[in-house]
Amino acid sequence: MQGCATAATIDNARRLAAVDDIAAALGVRPGQTVADTLALWPHLEVHDADTEADAAALKAVAAWCLRFSPAVALDAPDGVFLDIDGCAHFWGGEAGMARAVRDRLARQDIPARIAIADTFAAAWALARYGDGDITVSQGDAATRLAPLPAAALRIEPLTAHRLARLGVRTIAQMRALPRPAVQKRFGASVLLQLDRALGAAEEVLDFLHPPPPWTARRVFAEPVSRPEAFQQLVRDLAEALCAKLDRAGLAARRFALVLHRVDGENAGRGVGAALPMRDPKRLAALFAPKLETVDPGFGVEAAVLVAHDVAPLQHAQADLVAAAADVRNADLAPLVDRLRNRLGADNVWRAAPFSSHVPERAVTRTPPLAAPTGQGWPPDRPRPVRLFRKPLPIEAVAPVPDDPPLLFRWRGRTHRIRRAEGPERIGAEWWRAAWADNDIDRVRDYYRVEDEAGARYWLFRTGLYGHDRPTKWFLHGVFA
Amino acid sequence: MQLSLDLRGGARPRPTPLRLVAPPRAAAAAPAQSEALPESLKSKIARLERATATAWGVVPLGDRRVDGCFPRGGLPRGRWHEIVGEGLEAETPAAATGFAASLARRMAREGAVVWVMQRPDVHAPGLQAFGLGADRVIFVRTANDAETLAVLEDALRTRGVDAAVGEVGALSLIAGKRLQLACERGGASAFLLRRRLFGAHGVRAGASAATTRWALAPARSETALPGLGPPRWRTALERCRGGRPGAWIMEAADETGDVRVVAELAHHAADAGDIRASWRAGLRDRSDHRQRPAAGGG
Repeated sequence: MQGCATAATIDNARRLAAVDDIAAALGVRPGQTVADTLALWPHLEVHDADTEADAAALKAVAAWCLRFSPAVALDAPDGVFLDIDGCAHFWGGEAGMARAVRDRLARQDIPARIAIADTFAAAWALARYGDGDITVSQGDAATRLAPLPAAALRIEPLTAHRLARLGVRTIAQMRALPRPAVQKRFGASVLLQLDRALGAAEEVLDFLHPPPPWTARRVFAEPVSRPEAFQQLVRDLAEALCAKLDRAGLAARRFALVLHRVDGENAGRGVGAALPMRDPKRLAALFAPKLETVDPGFGVEAAVLVAHDVAPLQHAQADLVAAAADVRNADLAPLVDRLRNRLGADNVWRAAPFSSHVPERAVTRTPPLAAPTGQGWPPDRPRPVRLFRKPLPIEAVAPVPDDPPLLFRWRGRTHRIRRAEGPERIGAEWWRAAWADNDIDRVRDYYRVEDEAGARYWLFRTGLYGHDRPTKWFLHGVFA
Repeated sequence: MQLSLDLRGGARPRPTPLRLVAPPRAAAAAPAQSEALPESLKSKIARLERATATAWGVVPLGDRRVDGCFPRGGLPRGRWHEIVGEGLEAETPAAATGFAASLARRMAREGAVVWVMQRPDVHAPGLQAFGLGADRVIFVRTANDAETLAVLEDALRTRGVDAAVGEVGALSLIAGKRLQLACERGGASAFLLRRRLFGAHGVRAGASAATTRWALAPARSETALPGLGPPRWRTALERCRGGRPGAWIMEAADETGDVRVVAELAHHAADAGDIRASWRAGLRDRSDHRQRPAAGGG
């Protein structure tokens, strides 16, 4: 058994930067000079420290931590901060989250000590100097920090050493010192670190921003403001970006163009695609009408095209039915994209069944190229071809309760009813409040009626006979 | 294009220009006459009627009485057709919607149907009864007629779109020609529902580039059972390029959503009075609306 350690030049001497568990068990400590160490333990393996690889590994761990919280900051050389406000409950509380992080890191052979506290500085101190590899403090950071050494405050080792020589070994002792004296002797940074740990001072961290990797950018020597130049610019950017995506076998569904103006303002335009795409000509064509509305100000000096929602481009599938739908969608996609980008995404849709008896809720809108469900509405319930968004109040003459009316007036014309069917009683979805928006009662009795000309209407009555509220009649739609 | 009528019918009476109720009796015999024409004259007619020559085939509606009115025995693909609702239908097309849905479904093979409108009150479960399932139809909402026509053109030029239905108020001759070019390109069919939204003027069926123009009005349903029978429409083929007009009572068959002819309306049929009555009612209704433009909703 022999340990392993890395060495780097620290304070003008070759010293150990890190040691492994076996070496640590032997008594090897980081900071010892290599010469001393090898004299005592000649079989120790000593390698050169690779700080760049360490930094890259730390970055990889930090990026991995993005699954726990969107706010992750690096704490070089060996730490990562996570802001877990609002994230812990997904893992069954803070303790559960800490265990989850530790266990998942352990599965990758990464030992870790984890602390959760109200401030980053307190968490830092507890993670490095606390007991056990998981520490979760709940508002008692001050008492938990009290017995820790002053070095736990992330102050310079020399300052910690000088404090220790004065007999100030713990944070509790340090807090007992008069602040002006500490500041005079050790500088403001010591007090700042203390305040940060106790939450009296803010700490600002540099959180990671996962950069969108799919970008194309152009920077101009001279500001550009001619509309034709923008068209050419978008064509160039689209080609560059699509070539990038092409090489990776990917395509994207959303694209954003940001034009950086000379005066510091940004003008942005976005387009969406119904299916992932990477055709530069189509992309440029989608942007073309939007460029006309761009105000270039005094000129544009840089432009960036970013692809979002990047996904692998789907190739032909084995399933014949699905393949036919794919081919159809591929044909329709350019049209749908043009329309959605011109008219707004809300204005192009396909209807899809929604399981609700309430007529106005039985139809939902889905994206036009969503996979066909093959589902429809129950054919045994006739529904009108035109349904009014809000039922129209009408005057109806219905002398017999629970019978369809004899005639009704709508738009100044009297419709004498010749044939009728019904009622189809549709009750309110009591778990939803929106029903009452139309000031309509809880139950509707629907009738299909045909007037003397043959026109067909969908009427309903609200309110039950024999109750306090008078019955009211509404027209909700027309049948073909 | 009018030339063909003169050549074929000879001295037969011309249809009334305002609103045709039924084909004149003489016109019923027209196919037999046209077969008797010499070959050279036939080819001359064909040359003159370039507009009726179609590369995309025709779709028979399944009834000789109707298909006989079309120059090639069916409704041609790659054309656009105009559908005008009468009376209240002009504002809230119901019979016209059902008819358009039924025809659009017949014209569309495998592709999608695009439905373009300004007021999105089309109820998809209602269209399903005419065979247009939810998976087939893409709905588009536009802000005005010009946008509707632009979207229609765009859709008709797209491969994968077999039919398009547009709801427009006014339509210029040039817009009609453009639509025709878009239809010819891919063989898609378009149906224009003339619709009068609030405050706009009534639907005027003037000259247009449409291949056919249909006038739709509801008709009384018949069934032996209590309740409502399958919907019936008074359907007038007012204008048919290269063909002849006609008028029928049509019924939507329940299961398939196809239309079938129940009765042919003759020139002096008793029903003709009804059509005029509903036409007058439409006028009256229209004047009502001029006084109260904001009445009702929907």
